[in-house]
Amino acid sequence: MDFTFTDEQKMFRDTVYRYGRDEIAPLCEEADLKGEFSFEIWKKLADMGLLGLPFPEELGGSGADVVTCCLAGEALGHAGVDGGSLLAWGAHTYLCACNIFSFGTEEQKKKYVPKLASGEWIGCMGLTEPGAGSDAASMRTTAVKKGDRYVLNGSKTFITNAPLANVFVVFATIDKAKKHEGITAFIVEKGTPGLETGQPFHKMGCKCSSTSEVFFEDCEVPEENLLGGENGGWMIALSGVEWDRSTLISPFLGASIYGLELCGRYANERHQFNRPIRKFQAVQGRIADMKVFIEAARLAIYRVASSKDNGQMLNPMQAAVNKVYAGDVGFEMASEAVQIFGGYGFMQEYPVERNFRDARLAAIGGGTSDIMRMIVSRIMLM
Amino acid sequence: MNYEFTEEQKKLQQDVAAFCIKEIAPEAQKLDEGPREEVCKLMERNLKKLGKAGFLGAGLEGAAIDLIDCYIAGEEITKACASTYISARSSVFMCGGILKLFGTPEQMKRFLPAIMKAEMIGALAYTEAEAGSDIASVSTTARKDGDVWVLNGVKDVVANAIIADVLLVLARMEKGAGSEDGMSLFIVEKGARGLDINDSLETMGLRGVPVSVVKLENCEAKEIVGGEPGKGYEQLERILKMGTVGIVSFCVGVGTSCMEKATQHAKAKKSSGKPIGLYQGVGFKLADMFTYNDLGRMLGLRAAWAMNEGENDADILGSCAKLFAGESATKIANLAMQVFAGHGYIKGTDIERLYRDARFGEICEGPSEIQRTIIANNELDKFM
Repeated sequence: MDFTFTDEQKMFRDTVYRYGRDEIAPLCEEADLKGEFSFEIWKKLADMGLLGLPFPEELGGSGADVVTCCLAGEALGHAGVDGGSLLAWGAHTYLCACNIFSFGTEEQKKKYVPKLASGEWIGCMGLTEPGAGSDAASMRTTAVKKGDRYVLNGSKTFITNAPLANVFVVFATIDKAKKHEGITAFIVEKGTPGLETGQPFHKMGCKCSSTSEVFFEDCEVPEENLLGGENGGWMIALSGVEWDRSTLISPFLGASIYGLELCGRYANERHQFNRPIRKFQAVQGRIADMKVFIEAARLAIYRVASSKDNGQMLNPMQAAVNKVYAGDVGFEMASEAVQIFGGYGFMQEYPVERNFRDARLAAIGGGTSDIMRMIVSRIMLM
Repeated sequence: MNYEFTEEQKKLQQDVAAFCIKEIAPEAQKLDEGPREEVCKLMERNLKKLGKAGFLGAGLEGAAIDLIDCYIAGEEITKACASTYISARSSVFMCGGILKLFGTPEQMKRFLPAIMKAEMIGALAYTEAEAGSDIASVSTTARKDGDVWVLNGVKDVVANAIIADVLLVLARMEKGAGSEDGMSLFIVEKGARGLDINDSLETMGLRGVPVSVVKLENCEAKEIVGGEPGKGYEQLERILKMGTVGIVSFCVGVGTSCMEKATQHAKAKKSSGKPIGLYQGVGFKLADMFTYNDLGRMLGLRAAWAMNEGENDADILGSCAKLFAGESATKIANLAMQVFAGHGYIKGTDIERLYRDARFGEICEGPSEIQRTIIANNELDKFM
């Protein structure tokens, strides 16, 4: 048992934090108000090497372990970088590029990973459909083999980065009768005839990520773009879980730390009834609960991340616990932060307002809290 | 970074668990229900069994206290019988721990090995009617009379007092007693003149733990822990900070029992032909029990690790863990009761007992309100 980060990991976290605070966070308020993806922020993330963090150097990455990737996400959230930009990063690096890196052929890796790692190309992953959310195995997008090509038909929704993406990792079924066992993954490039993306959705939070539907109409994909072989898609979708439930959650942890710091400063400065509001136990209670949440969520996230780094089998209960706790309680804590700020917390110029909207996603994206409880309870009842 | 137990830690966990299931768990209900005198005898026997098996002093054998071992043993003993753990902890960790940390070599030699084998039972008497979380307002006094100190005052809710061979008593030093107005922990042995232990307190839960009011009327004490007067407050504070780890192990132990029993029930009990656990109303309660219990354990072990390693924020992590696990234990016991419904409301059932036992975690040794104040002020001071 050892809960410590290495000196290298700590140094990296501090460097990313300072960079995020000084270079990126100042851009976020305006980008969030516009509700648009920011190429300026994207370039900053790329310049720091963050978009290719987990990939080996020969593929243009930094060779970071999962714990380090989580530390980067935490540090950026802590620095005040908005949830949307970090979601765009997560979907790009962990959902798209990581899947190509883990399941792609040598050719596929060489072709896609370096350009994704540098940020020249933007990546996305398409799993969810209008009629297949938590029940992803019921997807209706089909792929039919025709000579040396697969023809895709169907649609995807809530696809982060889709409106900007150059590379789409897409799941479709080649045999509906086989249910999840027929699901197959493909790499589809922007500009492929029959591939269309919808208008970006207007979202409650994480506004700086661009999210839309994706449509396939007789979209022909060459067979060399098959990812992980026929019927290998479900395995790919499931194997992303440890990335999903550690690296994609870590920015939310960082945002909670940021929120606690904002509240800590405000509670010292703000006076009512002739004393700083920190003197009121109702305020103290919220501060304490935020701190406890941060410590518990931190343990849950880095337990998932370090087990992957240590080559241990992912414990699905640990991954689900992390997701449900960070999602549900993280949002409660973001709400308490708004409460400490009172009327100011309701104003868009205060980052706790943005944190509150952004935090709502953690209990929804990548498996809802309900699904997490379903996973945990089913294993308990086995 | 690695969250797994070492092989030695795993072995300790397995050994304590196997022993306690066989030797301790069967007595849990008797300890809850039995008449006072029988309960005391049974508890002494339980402590002796644990002592003989070598598990009572887990974590205290080495040169320094190993709080991870303390945690591991604590959770397993609690799973078998919550009362037994709290009684064991009061003796070995609270009383023995103070002696280990601050006692003179002679005091350690005289008491510690005996306490770890339960040849002697210890108690720690500090709370008073008007001095709970606010220890500084203790009013029990100590005055010097020749070679000895003479104690006067009343200590409230003292665990183990009636079965104790040695009590550590916190008292304020009177003029001329050395370290004026400071506090000291006095070693008072069973049968000391002026020591009056009234065994009249009936508790809601943890009924196997004898809890008493201790009256000191010109009670003679020959020794101070460590020999130097005026250190009592700091010594007590230290053991209470480290003690958060044990309370977390208690909370998680109770939580685990609740969760395991509720899970078994949800598998076996059917409604409209299907196990009730398959209904989300029940299944999701099980999931929440698991989540809060699991995170409570991680926080407890994290705090234990931090204290072992001497990390700067170790005490705050202890407070976070105690706050979280204390409130979680109440929540989990409540959910378990709900899963059992009427079947858990019956006297003599495990859930009925655990529900009462669980409530202790949130109120003992710095209730949740105090932990929140400590944690919040620590955070808020960073931004002054």
